[in-house]
Amino acid sequence: MQTQNVPTEELQGIVGEGHVREATAEDAVDGVGPSLVVEPATIEETSEVMKLASREGLAVSPCGGGTKMGLGNPPREVDLILSTARMDQIIEHVPGDQIVRAQAGVRLEDLQEKLAEADQMLGVDPPEEGATIGGIVAANSSGPRRLRYGTVRDLIIGIKVVLADGTVAKAGGKVVKNVAGYDLSKLFTGSLGTLGVIAEANFRLHPIRETARTVFLEVDDHNKIPDVAQELTHSSFSQFVLDALEMRWERDRGVIAALFEGIEPAVVAQSSRAVEVLGSHGETRVLGEDDGEAFWEHFARRPWAAGDVGLKIGAPPADLAAVLDSIVGAAERADAEIRLSGHAGTGVTFAGFSGDEDGLVEIVEEVREIRVRRGGSVVVQEAPLAVKERLDAWGSSGDYLGLTRRVKEKFDPGYIMNPGRFLGGI
Amino acid sequence: MDRGQLIETMQEILGPEGVIHEREQLRTYECDGLMNYRVIPDLVVLPESAEQVQQIVQTCYDEGIPFVARGSGTGLSGGALPVESGVLIVLTRMRRILEVDIPNGRVVVEPGVINIWVSQEVADEGYYYAPDPASQIVSSIGGNLAENSGGVHCLKYGFTTNHVMGAEVVLADGSVVHIGGGKAPDAPGYELLGAFVGSEGTLGIATKITLRILRKPEAVRTLLAAFKDTEEAGGAVSGIIGGGIVPAAIEMMDALTIEAVEKQVSPGFPEAGAILIVELDGPEAEVANQFDQVIKVCEENDASEIRIAEDDEERALFWKGRKAAFGAMGSISNDYYVQDGVVPRTELGAVLKKIADLSEEYDLRVANVFHAGDGNLHPLVLYDNDTPGEADKAEELAGEIVFACLEHGGSLTGEHGIGRDKMKYMPQMFTADDMDVMQLLRCAFDPHRICNPGKIFPTPRLCGERPGPFHMHPVQKAGLAENF
Amino acid sequence: MTERRNPEGTTGEEAMAGAIGAGSPEDIGQSTHAASDSIQQTVGAARPESGSYMFPAFDAHHPPDKDLIDDCVHCGFCLPTCPTYVLFGEEMDSPRGRIYLMNKGLTEEPMNDEMVRHWDLCLGCMACVTACPSGVQYDKLIESTRQQVERRYERRADDKVFREMIFQFFPYPNRLRAVAAPMRLYQRFGIGDKLRRAGIMQRIPARMRAMEALLPDLPKEEKIPDLTGPLGEMRRRVGVLTGCVQRVFFSPVNAATVRVLAAEGCEVVAPKQGCCGALSTHAGREEESLDFARKTIETFDDLNLDNVIVNAAGCGSTMKEYGYLLRDDPEYAERAKAFSAKVRDVSEFLQELGPVAERNPLPVTAAYHDACHLAHAQGIRRQPRQTLKQIPGMDVKEIREAEICCGSAGIYNMIEPEPAAELGERKANNILKTGAQIIVTSNPGCMLQIQSSLKKMGRDGLPMAHPVEVLDASLRGDPVETLLDK
Repeated sequence: MQTQNVPTEELQGIVGEGHVREATAEDAVDGVGPSLVVEPATIEETSEVMKLASREGLAVSPCGGGTKMGLGNPPREVDLILSTARMDQIIEHVPGDQIVRAQAGVRLEDLQEKLAEADQMLGVDPPEEGATIGGIVAANSSGPRRLRYGTVRDLIIGIKVVLADGTVAKAGGKVVKNVAGYDLSKLFTGSLGTLGVIAEANFRLHPIRETARTVFLEVDDHNKIPDVAQELTHSSFSQFVLDALEMRWERDRGVIAALFEGIEPAVVAQSSRAVEVLGSHGETRVLGEDDGEAFWEHFARRPWAAGDVGLKIGAPPADLAAVLDSIVGAAERADAEIRLSGHAGTGVTFAGFSGDEDGLVEIVEEVREIRVRRGGSVVVQEAPLAVKERLDAWGSSGDYLGLTRRVKEKFDPGYIMNPGRFLGGI
Repeated sequence: MDRGQLIETMQEILGPEGVIHEREQLRTYECDGLMNYRVIPDLVVLPESAEQVQQIVQTCYDEGIPFVARGSGTGLSGGALPVESGVLIVLTRMRRILEVDIPNGRVVVEPGVINIWVSQEVADEGYYYAPDPASQIVSSIGGNLAENSGGVHCLKYGFTTNHVMGAEVVLADGSVVHIGGGKAPDAPGYELLGAFVGSEGTLGIATKITLRILRKPEAVRTLLAAFKDTEEAGGAVSGIIGGGIVPAAIEMMDALTIEAVEKQVSPGFPEAGAILIVELDGPEAEVANQFDQVIKVCEENDASEIRIAEDDEERALFWKGRKAAFGAMGSISNDYYVQDGVVPRTELGAVLKKIADLSEEYDLRVANVFHAGDGNLHPLVLYDNDTPGEADKAEELAGEIVFACLEHGGSLTGEHGIGRDKMKYMPQMFTADDMDVMQLLRCAFDPHRICNPGKIFPTPRLCGERPGPFHMHPVQKAGLAENF
Repeated sequence: MTERRNPEGTTGEEAMAGAIGAGSPEDIGQSTHAASDSIQQTVGAARPESGSYMFPAFDAHHPPDKDLIDDCVHCGFCLPTCPTYVLFGEEMDSPRGRIYLMNKGLTEEPMNDEMVRHWDLCLGCMACVTACPSGVQYDKLIESTRQQVERRYERRADDKVFREMIFQFFPYPNRLRAVAAPMRLYQRFGIGDKLRRAGIMQRIPARMRAMEALLPDLPKEEKIPDLTGPLGEMRRRVGVLTGCVQRVFFSPVNAATVRVLAAEGCEVVAPKQGCCGALSTHAGREEESLDFARKTIETFDDLNLDNVIVNAAGCGSTMKEYGYLLRDDPEYAERAKAFSAKVRDVSEFLQELGPVAERNPLPVTAAYHDACHLAHAQGIRRQPRQTLKQIPGMDVKEIREAEICCGSAGIYNMIEPEPAAELGERKANNILKTGAQIIVTSNPGCMLQIQSSLKKMGRDGLPMAHPVEVLDASLRGDPVETLLDK
């Protein structure tokens, strides 16, 4: 752990005395402990903090709800945690325009609660509790409803960022349709704090659907899951009809669930048709809105716990059978226990493994090797530090790594933003 | 390398049929869909493969020659305006549909493929490609990608950027990268594809593009409603969207537009101060229910007439009237200037009033036709080129209109792009820092600014080292990588 | 629009297609790769040219009209319907590119090989006129440009000889009949030898081969009477144009036309007549074309006719234009206008008149091919289809890429054989895809072109007919086989 000469007083001068604190062990990012946690309240303060950090060469890790600080590789160094906790204002919600502008530190739950007053919502539903807008954008988190609404990159319409050198810049705007200038909102989506601090984000909103039905089917053979998923996505329930199509597999039992949201007569019609389609595969059940809510709360969770290895596998949706085979096979060979979940409609599978360290490393390597051949990616989203140190969290990155580095170098030439956590050691 | 050598080199790459170098022939490429700006390119090249594009760009890079990529040349902001002493790379011969992958819902195409071909290719399987710009019958996917094209159905289904899943891109230095996951979702790393789409050809040339296709909706219903004025029609729009309905399309035309359209294509529209065309699509039960709601909202907003398309023919007629609007202006005015601006939907009324005031002040007629659902206005400023000074006046008025859009929280452009035409307005919407930071991206993709220079940004940024302490990249420090 | 295929596309697509005049998006160019051989005729310029240079490009006698040029806003909607753009994928060989060149010719650029090449390559199919949302009158623009070219541009000697030869034969049925004897064309006339001796053979062989392939064996000519009375009560008195190519190669079409008209209650006059001048008009041979026009007017003018009926699309479109063509002729301007107003395509006329004669069933699947000069130049699409559909049992199939020319285009397939051949093959393929038992079209040029394309592909068994021949068979109660065995 490296400690720089951190000018605490100067920081206090910027954000106020009470908003700079000594870091504790809990603030460590993958074992790398920062010196201070700074909580600016405004973009101007954030800019001043960054100017100082840039001047002093301090490594900065932006942090929102702290739900994803374990994403990526362990950082090379962290001097400051820049917390967006105090930047928690919803700046503007215009129901008639179906847009919202919010500061990065607004928690998603709080935002949704406020939007619900106007029967609206932001169409992202990542499972982490307590996540902030900024963190969700930075990590590009998604949940089941991405099948209908897309991911953050599809919903974000404007952004305000603070670069490493303190420069404040915006892109996009507060209208849904807009092609003026480069779309930096998308560039910052998923950049994991390595290009700058996300200070504000603007989103397009959707109306809250009147009611919902969930149709699910239990299977005892994981090979059935891909067939059912394909059948559903290529029947008349595809994107924009089906709101979610998810799978789960644990202890040799699996469930495939489809969510229909909308007006009562529509969801009734669609769910009963889904029952027909699924009927040939086994016994199906239909849940109403309330039961469904409880069901999804459990169902959408990531299939791992602390100490497990958790993988996010992105693959062509029609390749799901091969994905499941490779995971199940690798786990068997390494004698590890597995649990799976995933967005079966879009080709994202989450796999949680528990077992011994060597076995876990082998699993990741084996699954990755198959994906290199068949297309897609395998990202380690959760792992004990010992495993993390033996693996790259991101895996192979294709031919765009050089370009990725050039982008990083232009936005953060001093490499002070979250150094080392991102792809290719960025 | 002099021009003769360049021609020779290009002919070696492309064969004689792929290089245009005679002056008269070059002149047909001096502008795209916007005729206000014209530059004769030094050379036009017509590659037929990604490899050829790579070789062309490599040659340009090695020789420091700027280049501009162009598709069908239908852009309305001069985005494909050639650069002087530069090469124009025309991709209209790269028009193969490379792969149709129904199980994954993907189609892989070359950039010159026409937008509508994609839908036609997968129609028999029950699929279609959602973005449908008015030019979809002629504009190319590569051009759509560069401009992030919209269309009448983008309110519900999103823009090109929401439907492009991957691209093979030749960068300005001749290197080839594959960005976006293509068939697989969530490729790790920066959202380079999201940044690339809509970059107006300034970040590289896409040579292979993976598109998402969607199932055709089960039901489609369309109605046309006539109102006393745009304000009442606007009230109906707010009522529909406020009611939680996301229509597939919701379009408005004002009286002047209706008049022109009637003259040119006679769709038999009712006489009215404003017309709305509302289209719903989706599952049968949902569409039926919401369609009744839409009718109710229109009635509540005093619609003088509501026509429901009874069959495909009538529906096509509604759309024919709408889509012919730009061209039809020729029937009521010698010349017209197409503007493209965006306002928040709730500001529509205020901005339309402002446009009416401006129209009076400048003594020029302005016809309004727009995507009401997303606030994307297309005011058409009518003028006569033969009246001295009127063209300038029209342009000035068109400028005032976009400023009004900005004042009300909108944008300079919703779908036509900044290109060459609106560069001068960029500082009205973005600060110097905003534009500098955007150009950092440019510097990463194209440090020597040879890829479509002179577009989007009024002041180019130098891509040299920035002031401040130099930090060697840790990977370099560790000896793992060379300087990049 | 209702006559077109069941809409498969989304509403937006249909509307777009409608906005450019096509019934369906499938009617426009569907190309997925560039042409290979004929591309040499444009950018690569594997064609010898004369080096002629003329500045300014146009003289004062009807240069392309600046006002008409200014109507073009460069939107590009014409591109996908232009056959040469579909083949070559470049701007100079597109309508808006050609208009751009005309504009440059007005002020800045000379008339030279490059300019002329791209105007020459235009088929004059007028699909762009249909497609244009701004109402640009490309037909008038290309016509006046071609007249300027013919007057001012010095063609290569071989090119000149060949074009001259065409115009020495095609407008004259007797000469054409003589040429079309079943012998190798250039052997018979010794043209090849003469040209070879003159050392200007370069482009002739391809053209001669094309011409030879095009002309079928000479059929037995079916004569038609000078006057045919109506069946039943007389509804109209009409004249018929018997045409040049039509008369020589497709005389049964003329005979069927007369019978059908008579059956529908017309008194039909078929005076002795010459060429209507269509070929010359489309080639920019102004004087010659005006002469033909005047003579044709003379032929029909004093016959006290309600209408003049034409069964060849190219002829009809020109005759409807006489008023415009002769606008500068004080003696003929008014007469020409009045004459043009009487001209009707046969299908157009039949639908105007309304059917009275009884149609007998013809259970057959037919592919209807739109002749450009009918669909684009005269806007007649619905009527021939309706004529066919009024026959019980007829199943009329639409051809993909209906808006794209078959490559015939008057004399185009003889003077520009390479692109014409590619277009012909393309059209033939699209026709074969319909699975139809018979091809129906309203223009002799299209028939020759499609026939020769099918023959090249080894599929020459597919019968062809004019809509009036089909109707004639139905009225006479002939069995389907008479049509299919034609």
